[in-house]
Amino acid sequence: MKNEKLLEIKDLYAQYNTDEDIVYAVNDLSLSLDRGRTLGLVGETGAGKTTTCLSILRLLPERIGEISKGEIIFDGMDILSLSEDEMRKIRGKDIAMIFQDPLSSLNPVYTIGMQIGEVLKYHGIYKDDQAIENRVEEMLDLVGLPKERKNDYPHQFSGGMKQRVVIAMALACEPKLLLADEPTTALDVTIQAQVLKLMNELKERLQTAMILVTHDLGIVAEICDDVAVMYAGSIIEKGRIEDIFEGQVHHPYTVGLFASIPNLKVKTRRLSPIDGLMPDPADLPKGCTFNPRCPHRMEVCKTEEPPCVMIGEEHMVKCHLFASKEGGRP
Amino acid sequence: MKDLIYTEGLKKYFKTPAGLLHAVDDINLRIPAGQTLGVVGESGCGKSTLGRTMIRLIDSTEGKVFFDGEDINTFDKKQLKHFRKNAQMIFQDPYSSINPRMSVSQIIAEPMKVCKTEANKKARDDKVKEIMNTVGLALRFYNAYPHELDGGRRQRIGVARALALDPRFVVCDEPVSALDVSIQAQILNLLMDLQETNNLSYMFITHDLSVVKHISHSIMVMYLGECIEQADTDELYENPLHPYTRALLSAIPIPELRREKRAEVIRGEVKSPVNPAPGCRFAPRCPHAKPECVGEKINEVQITPTHKVACVLYY
Repeated sequence: MKNEKLLEIKDLYAQYNTDEDIVYAVNDLSLSLDRGRTLGLVGETGAGKTTTCLSILRLLPERIGEISKGEIIFDGMDILSLSEDEMRKIRGKDIAMIFQDPLSSLNPVYTIGMQIGEVLKYHGIYKDDQAIENRVEEMLDLVGLPKERKNDYPHQFSGGMKQRVVIAMALACEPKLLLADEPTTALDVTIQAQVLKLMNELKERLQTAMILVTHDLGIVAEICDDVAVMYAGSIIEKGRIEDIFEGQVHHPYTVGLFASIPNLKVKTRRLSPIDGLMPDPADLPKGCTFNPRCPHRMEVCKTEEPPCVMIGEEHMVKCHLFASKEGGRP
Repeated sequence: MKDLIYTEGLKKYFKTPAGLLHAVDDINLRIPAGQTLGVVGESGCGKSTLGRTMIRLIDSTEGKVFFDGEDINTFDKKQLKHFRKNAQMIFQDPYSSINPRMSVSQIIAEPMKVCKTEANKKARDDKVKEIMNTVGLALRFYNAYPHELDGGRRQRIGVARALALDPRFVVCDEPVSALDVSIQAQILNLLMDLQETNNLSYMFITHDLSVVKHISHSIMVMYLGECIEQADTDELYENPLHPYTRALLSAIPIPELRREKRAEVIRGEVKSPVNPAPGCRFAPRCPHAKPECVGEKINEVQITPTHKVACVLYY
């Protein structure tokens, strides 16, 4: 089972066709995920993290969203060639997703028991109502909620408890892959710590592979095995967690990202943010997409797309700085 | 140093069908001119209500707030309007706190219009441009509408609007929590620069202990409406005393590998602030809870002149 590829994305391009522009949300993204591993997908708003997840589930908004190129192989199946009916059988069963806002991802007019049961009923894993009922109670127990509360409505729960309900829903069918889109962003720190602990435990117990989308490098350090840093729709650095947090060589954007985080241990008052803003995905800069903000910009960066350079066995940096040995280091 | 704003036994209770909700309970704090007080706590601990009560966006139930030596709760309409020029607020959500049907320039000019601080439209327009410059909004956005801007720029509008009247005191209610880290750092630096040039006092409300460390001179930790610990920033991080403060600090995910296993995650959730029983409100979640924690009001213990904590462990 170990080291077996569960998900492989090859050269994925996804775009949104709006009336005025074409928004290039994901550009030439490749990644792979082994069974039971957790990949942290890090980046700022608009980096294409959520679009990547929605592409895997083929849930891009109809008519507007489009996967223009690339391949997504999940468990040996080519996701992009499946019919909508076949896809529906995968969603929630083999691939589940936890959305950012637990408030808006639950239906306010159904009890949480019904909502957790719905996915089980739909996929027909359990034949009779009693079995479903039992499974719902089991799931509530798993995420640390009292069974008696299955007949309560979402508004009767706090934010942290709602997120536990959402996690229970996502895990009810024991998916092979869990996509967690900023699962703790809406929660308080102490509750976030509880939910992270829960996710870590469940991950070990159920051996679910997970893609964790987040902008918080602290969460990545706590929960992930591999990390991919996204910028303007592409992965600009990826590697094992040790490569990203302790490696000596990094993409300038990764360096900037770490410098922007307020650090508890350092005494400086001023932070050193990355200058400027994310580029408009409808109008991406030529060459390296990070070049207008990059402190190490060279002439070649303005015209040519940087190559993916392997720094270590699994550590990849997409930057001209490392293209040749003479390129120097940042 | 002279305190620009200070409170005495400030309370704000809300009547709810379930009983009296103690949103802010007996808060004593002081903010000197040119300094920042960070107010930290989880959602529902009353930190936003405290911020609003400080500038009388809502009336307090009991207690006093002194601004420049005068109790703001005694102000009549005219005095209050004058006070508003001095005390402004930056709101948490840059998406819902600005009017989508007004252009950037209109939004920033609105407070000056209301308070008639500038003589005519020309003077107002000049001032709008000047402020846009100060907060780093390009002038090409002068006639833009909020939906055309991203979160960071919108929050800059919020900052610009608060600064339009040259206030001396600004309540910042989670001004960066809706923003990305790199943008968050830009806004924090901007706020610190403005403080230096304009000698502003801030009350900086946040749930993020790593953010508040950078901007604050002193910090107050709130739990269910009460101040449970207050100290100078460095002191609080080096020597946190209250079990809740310690729990909060250890709950922050740190972007580093292989540090010692996370200290025990505190269990349970914040209890209801409606009709709280006397005693320590953190006791139900506290790993050090003792019988004497419940029943009587917990008094603040002064550890050093600038460090106080409300916990029986330090009696």
